[in-house]
Amino acid sequence: MGEVSERVASPGAGGGNTSHADYDYLIKLLALGDSGVGKTSLLYQYTDNVFNGKFISTVGIDFREKRVVHKTPGVDGSGGRSHRVHLQLWDTAGQERFRSLTTAFFRDAMGFLLLFDLTNEDSFISTRDWLTQLQTHAYCENPDVVLCGNKTDLEDDRRVSEERAREMADKFGFPYFETSAATGQNVTRAVNCLLDLVMSRMEKCLDSTKLPGGANGSNHRLGKHHHHQNKTSSGGYGDAAGGDGCQC
Amino acid sequence: MNPNFDAIGKHFVHHYYSVFDEKSKRETAAEMYHPTEALLTFEGQQFQGVGAIKEKMKAIPLDNMARQFTTIDCQPTVDGGVLVTVIGQLKNCSENDKVMGFTQTFILKPSNSSFFIHHDIFRLALHDC
Repeated sequence: MGEVSERVASPGAGGGNTSHADYDYLIKLLALGDSGVGKTSLLYQYTDNVFNGKFISTVGIDFREKRVVHKTPGVDGSGGRSHRVHLQLWDTAGQERFRSLTTAFFRDAMGFLLLFDLTNEDSFISTRDWLTQLQTHAYCENPDVVLCGNKTDLEDDRRVSEERAREMADKFGFPYFETSAATGQNVTRAVNCLLDLVMSRMEKCLDSTKLPGGANGSNHRLGKHHHHQNKTSSGGYGDAAGGDGCQC
Repeated sequence: MNPNFDAIGKHFVHHYYSVFDEKSKRETAAEMYHPTEALLTFEGQQFQGVGAIKEKMKAIPLDNMARQFTTIDCQPTVDGGVLVTVIGQLKNCSENDKVMGFTQTFILKPSNSSFFIHHDIFRLALHDC
């Protein structure tokens, strides 16, 4: 597992510096699940309780951003490389109530946080439906997913046992975390776990076309995604991405 | 054709949403639909008849709603009914939900001295980019 440490984001992160981005990777993650399971609260908790959400009304999507430093372990397990990661966390902002997620929501997402409410059986059953939607619209059929049973703080009202949830997670090969957006329990661990999975897929993925977004795109304004990838013939998402600037 | 189509359509719209937008009353909105022939297409999902429509109304995970109309366009139909198209914005009354655009189209048909909804198509106005 890699390590993730926080980095103090400069004010106005994500804006301004468009000619020479100050991060190595732009990683986009989506939160999915029934309304009321705590998606927004969990992302709010993860982004340090700061309301920095930006809502794009035409697509009905809310997103938050956070800068982290991700460490990839070296081959001998020590002294790996560090990458500056600009995380974008996408949220459905209520459109999931209507059971209609636009395909725009899934576009270019690299990893998924699939949430249910431990105190709500139906929301656990719904994770199957969300998974189907996700597999239909995501960039590949087996994208990285982390399953989160949220609201551990309401233990007395629990309706879904940890065992049942783990059984399902194991079946699909997803990591499982029991989280509380209220207390913060496991929130950072769950998101970091997903980031680890996405980053290690990136490292392994020699053909960059398999991942949307790819390496650092300096122009990442929404709706203006560049769909061409930063292909490096050497195969790696090398340090060059941040070093001498991406040509995107 | 009914000469009062515009007043009928607009009055209907205000009444319909005053019921639908209140969580405790929402399922009773189903009673405005024709008992057996009414068709509702809600975000692409189809329902026919008051029973199925009522179940859908109960199942939508919406709290009380705030709503604002941008336009309410009405037209008389040859059989004395009214075609109504609404464009507006809605918001679920919980802190994290956002304002979203929507469009909804109704066909009302006369029955004795009142009208039933025979057709209803609803969509959020969301786009792919």
